[in-house]
Amino acid sequence: MKKVRLLLVAGLVGMLALTIGVPAWGADTIKIGVIGPMQFVQGKGHWNGAIMAEEEINAKGGVKVGKKMMKIELVKADSNEFLNVTDATNAMELLMTRDKVDFVVGGFRTEAVLAMQDIAMEYQKIFIGCGAAHPELCTRVAQDYDTYKYFFRGTPFNSAFLVRTSFLHLKFVGDILKKELGLEKVKVAVVAEKAMWADPMVAATEGFLPKIGMESVGVWRPSPVATDVTAELSAIQRAGAQMIFTIFSSSVGIPFARQGGELKIPAVQVGINVEGQKDGFWEATQGMGEYILTMNTYCRGVEYNELTAPFVETYYKRFGETPTYTADTYSAIKAIVATIEETGSLDADELVKAMEVSERKVASGIVKYMKDEQGRHLHDLTWGPGYLTSLAIQWIDGKPVGVWPNKWVAAPGAPEITYKGIQDYKIPPWVIQAYKK
Amino acid sequence: MNLLRYHLRKLFLILKNEVFVLPSRIVVLLFFLTVLLLPLLYDDPYMMRILILASIFAIFAASWDLLSGFTGQINFGHALFFGVGAYGTAILNLRAGFPPWASIPAGALVAVLAGLLVGLPCLRLRGTYLALTTLAFPIILMGFVFSVPELTGGELGLSGLSRLARSRIANYYIVVITMLVLVTVMWKITDSHMGIIFHAIREDELAVKAAGINTTKYKLIAFSLSGFFAGLAGGLYAHFMRIAGPSTLEISMSFQVVIWSVFGGMVTIWGPVGAVFILFPLLEFFRIWPELRQLMFAIVVMIVLLYMPGGLLPWLRSKIENECPRCKIRNIATRKVCRVCAADLH
Amino acid sequence: MLIDILITSLINGSTYALLAIGFSLIFGVARIVNIAHTAFYMVAAYCIYFTTYRLGFNPLSAMITGIVFVSILGLIVYKIFIAPIREHEQAVLIGTIALAIALQEIMMLIFTGDYLSVPALIKGYATILGVKVFYQQLITFASVLVVLGLMRLFLMHTKLGLAIRATAQDREVANLMGMNESRVAMMAVVISVGLAGATGAIIVPLTTVEPFMWSHPLIMMMAVVVLGGMGSIKGSFYAAFILGFAEAMVVFLIPSGAFLKGAVALSIMILVLVVRPTGLFGVQFEEEG
Repeated sequence: MKKVRLLLVAGLVGMLALTIGVPAWGADTIKIGVIGPMQFVQGKGHWNGAIMAEEEINAKGGVKVGKKMMKIELVKADSNEFLNVTDATNAMELLMTRDKVDFVVGGFRTEAVLAMQDIAMEYQKIFIGCGAAHPELCTRVAQDYDTYKYFFRGTPFNSAFLVRTSFLHLKFVGDILKKELGLEKVKVAVVAEKAMWADPMVAATEGFLPKIGMESVGVWRPSPVATDVTAELSAIQRAGAQMIFTIFSSSVGIPFARQGGELKIPAVQVGINVEGQKDGFWEATQGMGEYILTMNTYCRGVEYNELTAPFVETYYKRFGETPTYTADTYSAIKAIVATIEETGSLDADELVKAMEVSERKVASGIVKYMKDEQGRHLHDLTWGPGYLTSLAIQWIDGKPVGVWPNKWVAAPGAPEITYKGIQDYKIPPWVIQAYKK
Repeated sequence: MNLLRYHLRKLFLILKNEVFVLPSRIVVLLFFLTVLLLPLLYDDPYMMRILILASIFAIFAASWDLLSGFTGQINFGHALFFGVGAYGTAILNLRAGFPPWASIPAGALVAVLAGLLVGLPCLRLRGTYLALTTLAFPIILMGFVFSVPELTGGELGLSGLSRLARSRIANYYIVVITMLVLVTVMWKITDSHMGIIFHAIREDELAVKAAGINTTKYKLIAFSLSGFFAGLAGGLYAHFMRIAGPSTLEISMSFQVVIWSVFGGMVTIWGPVGAVFILFPLLEFFRIWPELRQLMFAIVVMIVLLYMPGGLLPWLRSKIENECPRCKIRNIATRKVCRVCAADLH
Repeated sequence: MLIDILITSLINGSTYALLAIGFSLIFGVARIVNIAHTAFYMVAAYCIYFTTYRLGFNPLSAMITGIVFVSILGLIVYKIFIAPIREHEQAVLIGTIALAIALQEIMMLIFTGDYLSVPALIKGYATILGVKVFYQQLITFASVLVVLGLMRLFLMHTKLGLAIRATAQDREVANLMGMNESRVAMMAVVISVGLAGATGAIIVPLTTVEPFMWSHPLIMMMAVVVLGGMGSIKGSFYAAFILGFAEAMVVFLIPSGAFLKGAVALSIMILVLVVRPTGLFGVQFEEEG
């Protein structure tokens, strides 16, 4: 009983101490807040990428601001956003008012990022979103520039471009199927988790599939957190699909890939499967996820440019895994630092102006912020050859292997693009067996 | 001048004879004064944010107590009212352009409707059946939210609601004063004739029926009232966070409110309110151990319940106050004889 | 199509049935609404993961270790946290919620939030009437029947079973008849948690192991128990298949609404309860106190 009381008293005293506040730090450091679901892979990516950037920059002596050299200091904030959106906003407020950070990177769940964005904007701090793909985050910038101009998208590019890229993958694999298996028309089952970001993608497939000589046999919308999809898989097999276009950002990607592989459903899986982007995918699917293809940002052995391999390999050595896209906090911090050094200023408004016009090479391509049709600043990432394109990876024998872009011609007459380290796509043997005449 | 003096004297007398005689009343007075004066002394936006959210959740927790504590209709899906209030408010604000002072009460009326819709099929259910059935409602609504993304924004929710007020301190006073008023109103309701019927329904519904009281009517009233207050909390939340999303409907939200209320002590109104003001900052405090945060929270709840199964605040109150065995008036624990009837207290 | 629906619903149903029977038992006997029931199922899953991959056990002995470990854990937790406050219904409710959160957090601390998996007892699938079914799913279905059979034998033909039934019927009278009510309750807890562990062991190879895997089955399990009638094992059994059938229908008939399967199943439950407030086979417990 005494202990309980003691605990309560300790708690109250602690809270008081917390409210009275932490002394302000010296002004010789640049503080960068890293916010994300730190208990989960996404947040770990945020933090690891940020640590790498911090270590590299500080090892060189820090950031040159005018004539002064300033070190970087990271502040970790657990947003807990998967479980509790209120928590995420509190964490952001804490970064702004207690830690008094100069910049923030991170964020994942769109509902939470929208709420956190408002708080960062209120304090006029630059916030680089490294996880949420929804266009809304950036349309806000265009619609209310004065309020939202401090927000930039760091990664991934917005979901409209995700659709375009995954359609390219769909066509890429479809053509291979036609050629190898002698199919005339490829039948596609569209399986998208029931989420708003996937809706336009599903709608777009209706129009797009016939254009590339494919036919839709149905649309399935399982819950993003479904754990058993055998019913969907049986139905898909019944429908006679040869390809499954997957649109998954959540845990449903694991059972779908695993059960599909284990039941040897004679259809190849192509699309977005965020779980398939992680190194743990092989273990999580008991190796049954072999042959699935998903869009991804990084893959060991594949290089966009000369910055890719050093980043991916150092990251792998340091943390024992391939960076996922949230680890692009690395590029985000590097970009901030480069902009600071160029302008020689820490003033947010000045930095925003400089970032809007800059074109910067990062490990995944070239970052250039775009404008919308009306010429308003959108602070969204430019997609396309020469900028950011992302990759497609296929799981082969326990490892992700880069398979796209492989001799990709982006527009008629444009040069073929094949990144260094790309290999050929492999059709699962049971699919070959099912259709090969 | 005389009038003023008269009122001051009266105030002084009330304070002296009614408030300062009982430590629990002093605590309530201190609580009112603290939340009202704190930002004047220390205007930290983070602290104000925590207290604003605590106030919103305090309304929410008290509304649960009003229904589940008083009438015994254990509602495991209270997030439904909160979520409907939040979404209703957001839709009215964004689509119909209602300002916050209109959209929040209107959103709460939508929540009343939800309260009736839930209340009607649940009238015949008892105890655990009711608890587990109500759990299903927010999940069904969540299915609805996802099936009409044009209206609800799907997993993004509805964002960009207008602010309650420009400055944080104005937000603070709007929310905190609303909370103090609403909680007082709820407490008054439970203290009224209706509150007694609520009590009686929990204790013995058959007896209440036998006394010629239409329990169905009162149960529906309880559902609507509770829905109204929870809806107000949801609306305030939507306007303060400037987003109403599916997270307002999650099971964790429903569980959270039950944890607060039972932890603080049910059938009191002030118990859940106090619990929110203890537990919500406590969870923030645990940020110093980010990995252990939720675990510590769960352990604190378990340990407190183990020693104080009736709730923390009633337990504390029973330590500092005794009830007179003869006239049922409460006395401070240090007194030997009752302050009203002079009966021996030991 | 019809065959797909039927087979899928049998398999979905057996998962729910296994969980619901344990939950129903502990409620029927000890009047404990154990929100942490599926959390024990999660702990069993992690235990199997741990023994398989870190200690190198074979799947079967990992399963048995998992079940035993969870039963003991359940007993300890019951003794420390639940038994002292059993009389306070609400406190028990919150206590079990807090317990579930605590277990979830502990698993998160040890194993992080990453998605894990364990190997199946028998790998591969069979084709029944043109529908592909995992062997593991067949095992699930068979174990439901076995568990039900054993439960029936145990409840009808052993002394402890008789005591459990008596206590479920009327706690006070059973106590007066010389049955040690708290011991019976304790045994019911152990059996129930053991069942949760067994369910975990059987189903885990089919799903993903993660710290939040307890919340989805929790809702469906409660829906099953309520629909079947609380405390009625037979009811839980039928209700599990009804809801499994409802879910399968949604997936097959409106594929683009597959995410609604939970919501539809829950709506059915509410509709049934409007007509029969005590579920399909439930009996209204007389007010105790």
